[in-house]
Amino acid sequence: MISQFFVLSQRGDNIVFRDCRGDVPKGSAEIFFRKVKFWKEDGEEEAPPVFNVDGVNYFHVKVVGLLFVATTRTNVSPSLVLELLQRIARVIKDYLGVLNEDSLRKNFVLVYELLDEVIDFGYVQTTSTEVLKSYVFNEPIVVDAARLPPLGPAAIFMQGNKRMPGTAVTKSVVANEPGGRKREEIFVDIIEKISVTFSSSGYILTSEIDGTIQMKSYLTGNPEIRLALNEELSIGRGGRSIYDYGGSSGSGAVILDDCNFHESVHLESFDVDRTLSLLPPDGEFPVMNYRMTQEFKPPFRINTLIEEAGALKAEVILKIRAEFPSSSTANTIVVQMPLPTYTTRVSFELEPGAVGQMTDFKESNRRLEWNLKKIVGGSEHTLRAKLTFSQESHGNITKEAGPVSMTFTIPMYNASRLQVKYLQIAKKSKTYNPYRWVRYVTQANSYVARI
Amino acid sequence: MSGHDSKYFSTTKKGEIPELKEELNSQYKDSQDPNPLIRALAVRTMGCIRVDKITEYLCDPLQRCLKDDDPYVRKTAAICVAKLYDINAELVEDRGFLEALKDLISDNNPMVVANAVAALAEIQDNSSGPIFEITSHTLSKLLTALNECTEWGQVFILDALSKYKAADAREAENIVERVTPRLQHANCAVVLSAVKMILQQMELITSTDVVRNLCKKMAPPLVTLLSAEPEIQYVALRNINLIVQKRPTILAHEIKVFFCKYNDPIYVKMEKLEIMIKLASDRNIDQVLLEFKEYATEVDVDFVRKAVRAIGRCAIKLERAAERCISVLLELIKIKVNYVVQEAIIVIKDIFRRYPNTYESIIATLCESLDTLDEPEAKASMIWIIGEYAERIDNADELLESFLESFPEEPAQVQLQLLTATVKLFLKKPTEGPQQMIQACSYDSVVLNNATVETDNPDLRDRAYIYWRLLSTDPEAAKDVVLAEKPVISDDSNQLDSSLLDELLANIATLSSVYHKPPDTFVTRVKTTQRTEEEEYPDGSETGYSDAPAHAAESGASPPASSTESGASPPASSSSSFSAAARQAAPAPAAPASVPDLLDLGLDNNNSSNNALVSVDQPAASAGPPLPVLLPASTGQGLQISALLIRRDGQIFYSMLFDNNSQIPLDGFMIQFNKNTFGLAAAGPLQVPQLQPGTSATTLLPMILFQNISPGPPTTLLQVAVKNNQQPVWYFSDKISLLVLFTEDGRMERSTFLETWKSLPDSNEVSKDFPGIVINSVEATLDRLTASNMFFIAKRKHANQEVLYLSSKLPRGIPFLIELTATIGIPGLKCAIKIPSPEMAPLFFEAIETLLTS
Repeated sequence: MISQFFVLSQRGDNIVFRDCRGDVPKGSAEIFFRKVKFWKEDGEEEAPPVFNVDGVNYFHVKVVGLLFVATTRTNVSPSLVLELLQRIARVIKDYLGVLNEDSLRKNFVLVYELLDEVIDFGYVQTTSTEVLKSYVFNEPIVVDAARLPPLGPAAIFMQGNKRMPGTAVTKSVVANEPGGRKREEIFVDIIEKISVTFSSSGYILTSEIDGTIQMKSYLTGNPEIRLALNEELSIGRGGRSIYDYGGSSGSGAVILDDCNFHESVHLESFDVDRTLSLLPPDGEFPVMNYRMTQEFKPPFRINTLIEEAGALKAEVILKIRAEFPSSSTANTIVVQMPLPTYTTRVSFELEPGAVGQMTDFKESNRRLEWNLKKIVGGSEHTLRAKLTFSQESHGNITKEAGPVSMTFTIPMYNASRLQVKYLQIAKKSKTYNPYRWVRYVTQANSYVARI
Repeated sequence: MSGHDSKYFSTTKKGEIPELKEELNSQYKDSQDPNPLIRALAVRTMGCIRVDKITEYLCDPLQRCLKDDDPYVRKTAAICVAKLYDINAELVEDRGFLEALKDLISDNNPMVVANAVAALAEIQDNSSGPIFEITSHTLSKLLTALNECTEWGQVFILDALSKYKAADAREAENIVERVTPRLQHANCAVVLSAVKMILQQMELITSTDVVRNLCKKMAPPLVTLLSAEPEIQYVALRNINLIVQKRPTILAHEIKVFFCKYNDPIYVKMEKLEIMIKLASDRNIDQVLLEFKEYATEVDVDFVRKAVRAIGRCAIKLERAAERCISVLLELIKIKVNYVVQEAIIVIKDIFRRYPNTYESIIATLCESLDTLDEPEAKASMIWIIGEYAERIDNADELLESFLESFPEEPAQVQLQLLTATVKLFLKKPTEGPQQMIQACSYDSVVLNNATVETDNPDLRDRAYIYWRLLSTDPEAAKDVVLAEKPVISDDSNQLDSSLLDELLANIATLSSVYHKPPDTFVTRVKTTQRTEEEEYPDGSETGYSDAPAHAAESGASPPASSTESGASPPASSSSSFSAAARQAAPAPAAPASVPDLLDLGLDNNNSSNNALVSVDQPAASAGPPLPVLLPASTGQGLQISALLIRRDGQIFYSMLFDNNSQIPLDGFMIQFNKNTFGLAAAGPLQVPQLQPGTSATTLLPMILFQNISPGPPTTLLQVAVKNNQQPVWYFSDKISLLVLFTEDGRMERSTFLETWKSLPDSNEVSKDFPGIVINSVEATLDRLTASNMFFIAKRKHANQEVLYLSSKLPRGIPFLIELTATIGIPGLKCAIKIPSPEMAPLFFEAIETLLTS
């Protein structure tokens, strides 16, 4: 069980503080913040999420720049506490629509009311927004979400894509809309984070997809929902080692290494026809998490060429090729590459006619940065960078530079080919026809090309 | 609405308020309100009023609420019992709330069951008596409830059930079968608690097929935990670290998932590296090396250093891959990034220790980086290499000379090494012409002069004096001493000892498994007495250290240490002056032959603690039992503590070695022992001088028995807490070997032996077979047993077997009668003992096994 729960701002201000058992001194928030801030003398290193100071154990997670912290004196389950902190953040966000310092302060009465139901004497009672609705009566005070970064990966759907209703993910699940009427709608997001490591010769060393089917329901009466996935979907690599990728090509089968489900999901028909049925509780929750190491086509190929040009000069040529269909467009692409520490100056040369691209040399950490607003599938982009050194290189620039890493987001594209074939809502009446949104997105997690 | 009032009352007015009564009356009324929500709020609120006098008022409503029709009220009431227990435990027991709580385990609402389990588990934790014991009946009830519960309730139940010991393999398999589906849960806490439960039951399962199958089932969910938030990943990795030490096969094929991601937080990367080293094998080492090499060129300095060390650890672990590891290290050295080079040299020194005379060809490459070294440990390592291989390095003299220039400014660690290396050089190359010899001599004089005259460091001065006298009296003896062969080191990547590992594994999915420390070393419930322990440290531990020679006399904490040295020829008289200098001597007082190591192993000792790389078994092969490392430097923020209980002249001592590898001087050392079976405690304060960075000290702490005896079945566990003025309190565990307790007066007359044997009931006879032990000579065995105060009484032959009878005594004259049966030269020893308290038998068997196998 936990002794205290609190939320700190980035500056260390106490936004929420709840003492559950009175066995940890009040100054704990301050002790915690100082410890985290100065974990190593240089302030560079991040504190681990669990540590002990003078007999008090501190747990923390970072959510949208806020620190969610719990303390205890006993030998509790750390994964339970960390998971709980994440869930508290999610419940608060469900209620407030937006999670940030401002919304927490404006809604502190509601937040404390929620905490009273979520934790009793340090024991977690429930973190289900659905269950909480019967015991929590305060109404949220809505804050302006427009200029604030919201929570979670689904946030990317707000980036001006016309197909998405812009306010959806920042809407409180309990507050009524102006006019007192709630819009009947449900969102199903298939969010995939991909990690790929290319060797210097372009081979794929490791590749992995971490996926989530996330649901957010605004349906009244919580009708039953059926989600059908690919029929050719198998789970478990059947004893094959992670090393052999063979055997998966050709057939259209999607092979997941492992997956797990939300507790509201019934799996009776899953083994038969790959259908999930559930009564979606209110609020945002992951219906299913999955992990896949089956071979997939990486959306981007990265090509790096380094040529020495005299003793104190070298040229780096970066080439990015988008290998996904031209119907998709990646956005907010950032390519980064550490350069040798003795690099003093970099001059860039973009392709003629390039738009929406920016280059920069961050001198503090000797890093080359290349930003591209968007890349259309099938296209290719090149950057030339001329480096000037303050000392002669030891003839091994490649060992002192790189690797090249990339971050990007590709809406309406998923690398695993896992699909929601249909989304069926049990009908209450003939006229009942809520909005359904099934959305796909692929994001880079650790996308790295060694040189 | 009065429900709302209650709510704010609980949030705002917790504490001691005199005019509570009125409020209570309204609460009391609320607890009978028709609205269940209000009833629940009332009972929750009342539980928050933590005033002893009020508790009486709480009883009636609580009683009612525990039987309420509404599950929300019952689940709130269940937690309220735990609250009440915290304030007034007696009241809870007297009013039968515990029984009511136990009834709730069978409730039809899973939320109620979960809270009842949580409350009972907490009450059990805080109580000495058995309150919440899981029987096979509750087990099956709870396993059924498991399927209905919320995710959090599942964790409560799984954690409570993990204390259950299945009766046999079949029951264990049944339990596992019902828990396995939890591995599919999206909540990481449920998964880890299920893993814990399965691991525990697996201990009982004998079928290798079932075990293999379970391992296969656990692997994917464990790996999936690494897709969660980085905070959860960290917890998972710390747990996996323990799991793979016990069951390496579970994740043997999954090493790729532990490859670091570019954007992993540093704390995740560090943990992944550890696990990669543990999973590295001849089969995957090429892949692993490729990764390490890549990490070694990343930006984060700490991570880069750790990656370089990881390469070294793989070289030491996998003999067949050592050469490949070295070539990677050489490649890294060539990049000439300063800290990479230094780190590489440190690990290469360890590789040289592990594989002597194999890879010296690379020394030339190392020498190229000589002038870039600026960290003490790297410098000391390089100097060690030059000294050790002086005969193969043409310009060893020049190289050492270049270091000598800055001798006075160097840290102690470097000075000591430089001193030894110079002597080695002198001893190895005296024949190469008189001129060089004189030259070498002159260095010597410089070093020895520097070391004997100008230094304040007793360690250095002592070592210099010893060399000085050795060289001037008998250079041949000096050779035997300085150039003695060193014991080979081994890999320690599975560094936790098995009993600690087992304890930690039993605590998987708790904080203990994240800290890798047993729970009682960090759990400080306010209500328990543990918090006062710190104040109980002996006040008189005067630890200020003066290095005046006069100190010699009262360094009586280690009288045997000086006696060792007196057997060690001329330098003894001066070197015994400083207990700090006698660091190697103290642990091995019985063996005068320890001197050779004394001279040369300073560096190795330091390093073994710095990088936890070198096996602890090396410092004194000839010097009797080496001191096992109990607190590795990696845990102790640079402080390493090695210790062992020994018996000398009828007295028990705790022989301890402190190595300070941190960056700061440490002083004010104090020690405290937790309650233990034999009531072992310190007889006096701990005498440890101020420890400068890079230095170490030994001490013999006299111990006494029967001080704070822990009740319960006898165990060998000895928990120790050591503190100093600069660092937090360190906790570690040791084992009490029964052998140190056997008294010198244990010899019995034959008749007494027979009498005693007869007087004890047959039920007190316990025997055990040791199939692995061979007795090759009765004489040698008896000598060994006598040395541990087990005295020979009689011997007879039975067929071709030898039967030996021995006697010994525990303190307070408790007799210990031993019968050993074995065939000479053939493995297999039967050991039967007859003692007044047979529960002591396992401890004895453990001790005798260690004694006769070693």
